[in-house]
Amino acid sequence: MRIAVAARRRHRFGLSVFFLREASFLAEPDLCERYAVPALRGSLTYSRFFVDGEVPEDFREKYMRAIRLRVIKPLVADEEDLERSGWSKLGEPFELDLTYDNVFYNEFIVLGLRTDRWQIPGPMLKARVREAEAAYLAKKGREKLGRKEKADLKESVARKLRKELSPVTRVVDFTWSLNEGVVRFFTHSEKAGIGMTELFHKTFGLRLIQQSPYTLAERIGLSKAHESAWQQIDVTVLAKES
Amino acid sequence: MDRFECIQLRRFVGREWLLWLWFESEVFDATLTTKKHGAFGFWIEGRLVLSAGQETTTIKGTMPGQHREAKESLLRGKTPDLASLHLSWGGHDATFTLKAEATAIAGLKLPRKEPEDASPTEGVTEPARRPAKKKTAAAFADDEAHEDFYERMSVTQEIEEILEALYRDFLTLRLGPAWSSLVVPALEAWSTGTDVDADVYGAARNKAVASKK
Repeated sequence: MRIAVAARRRHRFGLSVFFLREASFLAEPDLCERYAVPALRGSLTYSRFFVDGEVPEDFREKYMRAIRLRVIKPLVADEEDLERSGWSKLGEPFELDLTYDNVFYNEFIVLGLRTDRWQIPGPMLKARVREAEAAYLAKKGREKLGRKEKADLKESVARKLRKELSPVTRVVDFTWSLNEGVVRFFTHSEKAGIGMTELFHKTFGLRLIQQSPYTLAERIGLSKAHESAWQQIDVTVLAKES
Repeated sequence: MDRFECIQLRRFVGREWLLWLWFESEVFDATLTTKKHGAFGFWIEGRLVLSAGQETTTIKGTMPGQHREAKESLLRGKTPDLASLHLSWGGHDATFTLKAEATAIAGLKLPRKEPEDASPTEGVTEPARRPAKKKTAAAFADDEAHEDFYERMSVTQEIEEILEALYRDFLTLRLGPAWSSLVVPALEAWSTGTDVDADVYGAARNKAVASKK
């Protein structure tokens, strides 16, 4: 029932991710399958990152503790945070009880990076704010609102709406191949990549270097002669016409 | 120059790498070679995007690299921004888009997993099988899902290794004297529609790659 409501809301507001009051309903398999899990199925679009630093010997225990500390804490309407990110289980963004079995796949660490964000549809917010302003003015017997009053009303309306809606959830697959020292993060979004590298550093204490022509050359390793040419390299021009 | 600047200022190298891949795949009839992997199929298929500043040319088709507009764009100063590629190696086929400035892969379609017993057995009637159920997210925790994951990652790594080997060879040429004496003249001839002698170019190129370091 709630699933149907969620689908209707999704359709109505044209948003990419459905609203749900209670995330636990996503244990429903059909609903979960709406999330793409490129690490496990379908085509793969990803960015590669090289891990800079050594993995400790007792990494399993250390990393498991650190990951559990940074599992996403779902947003609550009354809190001030409008967006929050954290780890979740790969392929099941609403499964936050992470175990060794679902995090360590032999030489891989696999996770989902889940981001929840309050996203109130603009027309809905505008309409509700207008209603609230009219009611406030009628109550006070005035014709105009001050700037601060307007802002306070808008915040109060947004807070109420957040209680009616659920945050928008996005999840990106994350795999860390420990043997290779390579993280594959299944998106090309720059913003998501920055968020992931920050969370990675907080969780594992290691830095990530995103693959690019420069960093890939570093990883491959250049001879001294090539290193010097690399520093002075200039664009090749084939164009014959002006 | 700080690291960020170094990274940004070398982004064009990714475009030159993609240009070189396009050129070699045409000159060598879609068969490239690396020392480690031997010969494999490699060609542009589906889409090629060239750009310079705000100007972009997108060419779609089965062989977009061979389209006249593609070479004309090169001569107008555009360089390849991204290309959809087909890689055929060791009995596998994969397609993906290579984004040049990031050296990043998008839309990688991995080879289809062959059923373990694909060969039909003569005279034996297969028992009717129930259609495979669609996997639920929860089922990914099981061993089979783990195996699928390893398989996908293993093939992805193979593709990345081939690309890295090609990038290594490209850098050897690009950072050595062969770039200006051999590759650039060949690129210029090819982009204007002049035939490049694959044997002569190939021999000189292999010598330059082998004599690296």
